[in-house]
Amino acid sequence: MIDDVIDFFEPYTYLIIGSVKAFVIAGALLGIVPALVWLERRLMGRFQVRLGPNRVGPFGLGQPISDSIKLLFKESIIQSSADKFLFHLAPAIVVFTAIVTFAVIPFGEPVKVFGQEIGLWVANVNIGLLFVFAISGMGVYGMVLAGLSSNNKYSLMGGLRSSAQMISYELTLGLAALSIVVLTGSLSLIDMVNSQDSYPNILIQPLAFLLFFIAGIAETNRAPFDLPEAEQELVAGFHTEYTGMKFAMFFMGEYINMVTMSALVTLLFLGGWNSYGVPAWPIVAFSGKVLFLLCVFIWLRSTYPRIRYDRLMTFGWKVLVPISLLNLLVTSVLVVL
Amino acid sequence: MFEFDLFELTRATVTTLVGLTAVLASLGVILCSSPIYCALYLIGHMICLALLFLLYNAEFIAAVQIIVYAGAVMILFLFIIALLGGKKEIQEPSTERSLAIAFVATMLGELFLSATVGPTRPIEGTFDVQTVAEVGGSAKAIGLELFSRHVVAFELASVLLLVAAVGIICLSKFSYVPVRRRMK
Repeated sequence: MIDDVIDFFEPYTYLIIGSVKAFVIAGALLGIVPALVWLERRLMGRFQVRLGPNRVGPFGLGQPISDSIKLLFKESIIQSSADKFLFHLAPAIVVFTAIVTFAVIPFGEPVKVFGQEIGLWVANVNIGLLFVFAISGMGVYGMVLAGLSSNNKYSLMGGLRSSAQMISYELTLGLAALSIVVLTGSLSLIDMVNSQDSYPNILIQPLAFLLFFIAGIAETNRAPFDLPEAEQELVAGFHTEYTGMKFAMFFMGEYINMVTMSALVTLLFLGGWNSYGVPAWPIVAFSGKVLFLLCVFIWLRSTYPRIRYDRLMTFGWKVLVPISLLNLLVTSVLVVL
Repeated sequence: MFEFDLFELTRATVTTLVGLTAVLASLGVILCSSPIYCALYLIGHMICLALLFLLYNAEFIAAVQIIVYAGAVMILFLFIIALLGGKKEIQEPSTERSLAIAFVATMLGELFLSATVGPTRPIEGTFDVQTVAEVGGSAKAIGLELFSRHVVAFELASVLLLVAAVGIICLSKFSYVPVRRRMK
């Protein structure tokens, strides 16, 4: 009987492995969020010459757990004028797209377990980069719908701002990434990493790296580009009316997007899991680079003030887009020559 | 003991379900009274189309479908609905309405008729699954085809799009009145 079952499942091994990987990575991403919140609060504290959370557990490590419990048990308030269905849907879209985007991010060379080769990624699609852009672009809907359904002018303003900002900076993001696609000749993220085995792309494409990183910060709605939730003008932007776990889901989306963006920068520009002579496991090299970039994200937040909204759009359209177009043109010409 | 092919069965089921969802979503676009939900149904329809492309191994077109239509175009739709305030329209019976319903019913009838006449046939093209795999992915296959056989048409289309973009900027940037005064 057991032999029969094993025989039946033999051709579907890859399906089972795939599902297990999907569960593990989704779980890991959700688990990373509290850790990142802790890291951000501790680092922000240090940057601002104060202590940060240090009461719950050693180094305040219990703080994210107590925060999560608080958020889970908070009363969920929905004002009567809201569109109930969209109000519930919006945070789900944000978290869902954030997790699905990570599906195509590879974080190491394939490893052999019990004679079965397992790639350290959920899906190896040959349009990897396009998939990331497609799904992360859908994340905007979460914010727009949150703004629309809340029936609150501050929420609406926040939703509109976020969509305008993300559409504008997606262009720069795509164009900067395209120069790497031109260099590599492939849309697959694994091919990109493999092409950087002697030197990372940042050395030959420093401008593209800068553009990609700036646009990436704007895409994840992080300071200094966190206009959709500017406290002084918009109360809290698109999530003004949200409470409890639904409120937290927006932040889960934001932090997961941060991880994805750092991973993308690592894969495209910093050589992925290549460690360039430093003795480290591929996965350790990869996570180290991602962690460093996450710290840079937090560092930027505590360094720069928020820029004004019209300046943000001017900067995006009149500075970043032309530079990235020029960069792409020069890169393509150089590659053809 | 187990005879059926699980993979093919799942694939067929998923394809049918996604196709049905696409039809239902497109019905929702025209039948729903709230503009926000209409736009959302349209997004749902686009996503279903992308999924269908994906199920037929056209990853590149699926990704482009989502990036362009679901990601960029529909966001602008929602943007405008949000700015104008999406109020529910009041639906009341009228001659236009009954005419429209009759038209849709006729179209559906024709659809069923064509389904009974014979099975739909695939369009014969240069590429099938194997050639695409040999070239190395659907993105490369499309690129090779587009920039070799259809390069003139492609460039002409890009010029057309550029003209449209410049035209939009001219229309929105410069108001219409001074242009007419100059004409006089």
